[in-house]
Amino acid sequence: MTAKITIKGLNFYYGPKQALRNINVRIGEREITALIGPSGCGKTTFLRCLNRMHDLYPGNRYEGEIILDDRNILEPGLDLIRLRSKVGIVFQKPTPFPMSISDNIAFGLKLGGMRNRRELASRVEAALRVSALWDETKDRLHDSALSLSGGQQQRLCIARAIAVEPEVILMDEPCSALDPVATAKIEDLMSDLKKNYTVVIVTHNMQQAARVSDHTGFFMMGEVMEFDRTQKIFTAPSNKLTEDYITGRFG
Amino acid sequence: MTREAYHKQLKDVQDELIRLSEMVGTALKDSIEALKNRDIEASRRIIKNDVFVNNRRFEIEERCIYLIATQQPMAVDLRVLAAMINVVTDLERIGDHAEGIARISISIGDGPLVKPLIDMPVMAEKALSMLQRCMKAFVERDAETAKKICDEDDEVDARYDAIYDELIHLMIENPKIIKDATYMIWAAHNIERIADRVTNIAERVVYMATGKMQEMNVSKY
Amino acid sequence: MTGFHYTKRKVFNYAAQTASLLCAVCGIAFLFWILKDVAVLGAGGLDFSFFTELPAPPGEAGGGMANAITGTLLITVIATAIGVPSGILAGTYLSEYGRGGRVAATVRFIADILVAAPSIVIGIFVYAIIVRPAGGFSTIAGAMALAIIMLPVVIRTAEEMLKLVPDATREAALALGAPHWKVTVLVVYRGALRGITTGVMLAVARVSGETAPLLFTSFNNAYWNWKLNEPTATLTVTIFNYAMGPYEEWHAKAWAAALLITAGVLFVTLAARLVVRGRSGS
Repeated sequence: MTAKITIKGLNFYYGPKQALRNINVRIGEREITALIGPSGCGKTTFLRCLNRMHDLYPGNRYEGEIILDDRNILEPGLDLIRLRSKVGIVFQKPTPFPMSISDNIAFGLKLGGMRNRRELASRVEAALRVSALWDETKDRLHDSALSLSGGQQQRLCIARAIAVEPEVILMDEPCSALDPVATAKIEDLMSDLKKNYTVVIVTHNMQQAARVSDHTGFFMMGEVMEFDRTQKIFTAPSNKLTEDYITGRFG
Repeated sequence: MTREAYHKQLKDVQDELIRLSEMVGTALKDSIEALKNRDIEASRRIIKNDVFVNNRRFEIEERCIYLIATQQPMAVDLRVLAAMINVVTDLERIGDHAEGIARISISIGDGPLVKPLIDMPVMAEKALSMLQRCMKAFVERDAETAKKICDEDDEVDARYDAIYDELIHLMIENPKIIKDATYMIWAAHNIERIADRVTNIAERVVYMATGKMQEMNVSKY
Repeated sequence: MTGFHYTKRKVFNYAAQTASLLCAVCGIAFLFWILKDVAVLGAGGLDFSFFTELPAPPGEAGGGMANAITGTLLITVIATAIGVPSGILAGTYLSEYGRGGRVAATVRFIADILVAAPSIVIGIFVYAIIVRPAGGFSTIAGAMALAIIMLPVVIRTAEEMLKLVPDATREAALALGAPHWKVTVLVVYRGALRGITTGVMLAVARVSGETAPLLFTSFNNAYWNWKLNEPTATLTVTIFNYAMGPYEEWHAKAWAAALLITAGVLFVTLAARLVVRGRSGS
């Protein structure tokens, strides 16, 4: 595997409290990497380090290196806005903006300075097509995004994230608020996204991690207990803790 | 998220599997006993009992499939279930081999055996012991013991060779006994096959314990 | 045994239901009584001249309240122009910037006290800081008093409505590279728009019916006034004066003014309701 992101000796602190300890992981390019672990294990905290979402709140501190391509994204003076256009994120609950479907997707593009209407329209369409939402929304692009179903809203958020053409897409439990049909659609979409994007997904659903991912990391108490090929993790993990967690012997 | 009910069900199925191994072990022992004592009635009973073995086998397999369908087992649980589905087939085949010995005993009929049974009970004893220890290793997830059991298959093979040679010689000396002597070779062959099945089970134990699939001991036959 | 308990529960249930129904009917009955009296007694005093003419001299028939109507509109509009933007901005600070901080906690605490402050206290306050130094009653003083009354309501409504916008939505916008102020203006305000509009309309409806603070600030005027530094007539203060007066015509005019202001408040409240309903529709 070619590494898209290499994490070296990452520590993370919420104020005085250390949340991540010495993380060393390589995220493969154009792969889906799943992060699993019990609640409060640090997997979401880790995910949010990858586009420095923690910088939105005061008192948070990183140590170590997160090397995206050739650049350490933790170095001071980094352009966070550019980083975030390169590393998009999709949240647990759908977060449609209170505006029309097409404005939702154009939002990030307009922020980036795109003004040309035709260009915007074609990018909106392209993003909706990738997220398999075009057929369902092409006749109602100017309706409120809030009128979509939960699963559609989540795919809209994915479309919104990919509209700005990132290289990495982070997903924080993207299906936990969705029914099985909507979940299946998102999972299909994820394997499509894999062709062009590097995807990192946090999930509580171990079957989902097993189904969609190429590599899986098991987090516990702020540490990576095991990181390996997904097939290996779910059939024969090396670490007893991983095994106990995924077989439901604790957690 | 501890899944106690599920893990209890998993253990119940394993207990069933051990019970089945005891049933086929007893069938093996009894079939040799019946052959030795020329006890046709006992042989018939063994043949009749094999139906229960077959039924049990399907029951265990179904329970494994049910657990896979409903619980989405992973890691060691998945390996245990996959192993059990394989092992139960091997156990059923061991039962068939024991039944085969009983049928041979009936085919030989009332007459005396062409030679006294000496090596064959020892061979059967060995195969039975392998089976019992292998099932213990299964319960204890003991890959090391399972590997050693595989090596013991050579002993069984050697005894089979000896019996085979001896019977061939007897046939050359006295062509009249060819039919009964051939039956005897078949009986010994059945025991040899049982030991091979045990090595299959041992391979599953190793997979279950370590996650590695590997051929342990290639039988000569 | 179980049957007995079941019966007892049923009796209890019916008793509670009946009691609450009676209380509801009582409350609504008084409301309708007031509305009916205002409507019946007020309708008699309403005529064309009521809307177009200045008040007649005491004791004379005829005349209207045109100056009080425009005065009320003027004061309410100015109060809204002062109170609403500053209230929304303060609410924005509480929800978007100062969240959890000490300044925000203090502002929130003071706003809560102000909500409960009697409006006459605010009238006296404005009298002390504007009317006395300026040497007289004025439109702007009345508008200031009403703006101060509106302010805490608008602040708290705006804050609560903005807080209803999920944090994840803010993060999603920030994660697309939007600066904080753009997130607030383009995303958060849109999400809270209807809620804030409703709150503002209710606040406007509330202050447009205030009398006490205006007695000390804008006072009254028998003539037209469009100047901010002159006393101004308002419907509420005029109702107060006319109702206290000895003349039958005045009483009739006071009822008419009461009807007008009640209708106005009702209209704004209903409009606010419609806005809320529109929200659930989208």
